[in-house]
Amino acid sequence: MTPDLSVTIAGVSFKNPILTASGCCGYGEELAGVFSLSKLGGLVTKSITREVRQGHPPPRTAETGGGMLNAIGLANVGIERFIEEKIPFLEKQKTNIIVNVAGSKISEYVEICARLNDQPRVDMVELNISCPNVDVGGIEFGTQPTLTEDTIRRVRQVFKRPIIAKLAPNVTDISAIAQAAEQGGADALAVINSVVGMVVDPHTWRPRITNNKGGLTGPAIKPIALAAVDRVYNSPCNLPIIGIGGIATVDDMVEFLLCGATAVQIGTALFVEPDTPVKIEAGLKKYLRGKKMASVRDLVGKVRKY
Amino acid sequence: MSKINSEETVVIRRRDLHNDYYSLTFGPLKGISRCRPGHFIHVKLPTSDIFFRRAMSVASVNPESRELEIIFKVFGRGTTRLARFRSGDPIDVLGPLGVGFSKPKKRERVICVAGGIGFPPLLYLATSLVAAGFDPKQIEFFYGGRSAPDIIERQRIRKLGVNFHPVTEDGSVGKKGLVTHHVAELIEARPDEKVRLYACGPEGMLRSTNQLGLDMGVPGELALEAPMPCGIGVCLGCVVPLTKGGYARVCYDGPVFQIGEVAL
Ligand SMILES: Cc1cc2nc3c(=O)[nH]c(=O)nc-3n(C[C@H](O)[C@H](O)[C@H](O)COP(=O)(O)O)c2cc1C
Ligand code: FES
Repeated sequence: MTPDLSVTIAGVSFKNPILTASGCCGYGEELAGVFSLSKLGGLVTKSITREVRQGHPPPRTAETGGGMLNAIGLANVGIERFIEEKIPFLEKQKTNIIVNVAGSKISEYVEICARLNDQPRVDMVELNISCPNVDVGGIEFGTQPTLTEDTIRRVRQVFKRPIIAKLAPNVTDISAIAQAAEQGGADALAVINSVVGMVVDPHTWRPRITNNKGGLTGPAIKPIALAAVDRVYNSPCNLPIIGIGGIATVDDMVEFLLCGATAVQIGTALFVEPDTPVKIEAGLKKYLRGKKMASVRDLVGKVRKY
Repeated sequence: MSKINSEETVVIRRRDLHNDYYSLTFGPLKGISRCRPGHFIHVKLPTSDIFFRRAMSVASVNPESRELEIIFKVFGRGTTRLARFRSGDPIDVLGPLGVGFSKPKKRERVICVAGGIGFPPLLYLATSLVAAGFDPKQIEFFYGGRSAPDIIERQRIRKLGVNFHPVTEDGSVGKKGLVTHHVAELIEARPDEKVRLYACGPEGMLRSTNQLGLDMGVPGELALEAPMPCGIGVCLGCVVPLTKGGYARVCYDGPVFQIGEVAL
């Protein structure tokens, strides 16, 4: 018997709960040279902004213990060219397409999402209200419950399909933000975005990335991400959770499901092993067979806490 | 088109080239038939304290045995670990990756400008041109370094039959001075010839080669280096500024760029 890997999030069905994370798979074209994107439950695009953004000057990334720091600066083609140049490719892929959206004003989120509403193959939007790398906005939205709620409420009016709110870990109480997102009309949560960090070269006395601070990702943040998922899952917020942070193996993924995630996104692991999602999918089937479980859904929230 | 994949293969040979330079040959590699001069591979280092793979330009390939060689100098943590591989060790390789050098036109004189650790892709270029029947006497192989120990694999270059021009800053081997100075001299001495530059090396050398190409109206290509988190174009971490504005990814849009294309 083949275990059932399918899940449903906010009415959208996914063939498996394995997605690729924003900023770690471009707009899909390059990754399609590694494996067929039909293997994925879904793909989340790089954050799209209203204007094209060139991003920060290099160096933009630094290696850290068990992970990396990045401040790409939301480099992206902008909504206009995204629709013109990237949607045609994405439309042909047999996987769910989730477009990640970033802005420095609420009106930018609204404008972009209104345009995406006219693109039927965009199954969901994911609002990046948590990117630590832009000086205006970004972090502001996701650290303040009222701004979170307002942003999502305004987008809700123009985007008719499900909205995912992507939350920042750099807050005192992530469950308060989760509840604000739910209040605003979000349909699901992505937990978490990168963790603010800094790396300095002890010889040159210079930060190792030009933005000075950046987002820490990879295995180093997995325990932080897991605790955040657990916290949101056990909060009054009832939205389905997509877990993100340091997932590189099927065991990592199972941990997130046990703590309450319905699906996961793979980010940094793609840089080291670009076919990680394919390996995790195979591993997940094997895991479920080994546990004699019929469906991956039966793992969600089953952590046996002390 | 066949997909890019990481594969586990085996180290066949490790050679100590002195002065902290090493050569590692491994294989068989499935993806090797795609490999062209200028391409690189992304090597995983089997140690928990090194997170990223390391990009290494290809120094030679053997299509029959499907073996691939890299040559590197021990510099930081990554190359230190790389130098510890021994024959028989498993090694995880992603690639070949990137955009390689374009082929010279038939009548063009090929000028390779290698500087220090930028030598391997030019060795591969010259070797494969000669193997494909390009007249070795039409290839000028400049190789610059600080002093004699920086100019490695001299016999190997000579054996190709190319016109070999070692250049050292202290004059301990070959001509004295900066390599780009001698390249300019050669181009000036042959005003009627069509030439094409191929360069790889330290930033300063690439900048001078780029300028030289622009000033003398000589076309050519530069192979760049950058720290590469992913090597496959998805992270946008390895960018260089372009002269027309914006950035390009060294791993995916390069590592080979045309003279005048990047803002060095
Ligand atoms: C290089 C890089 C770029 C990223 N760009 C974005 C982005 O544009 N928008 C976004 O919402 N998250 C972005 N992220 C965050 C990831 O989507 C993900 O939340 C984070 O990396 C944690 O997951 P991981 O540990 O699996 O990488 C980026 C991460 C990395 C490493
Ligand atoms: S190394 Fe990731 S885009 Fe080049």
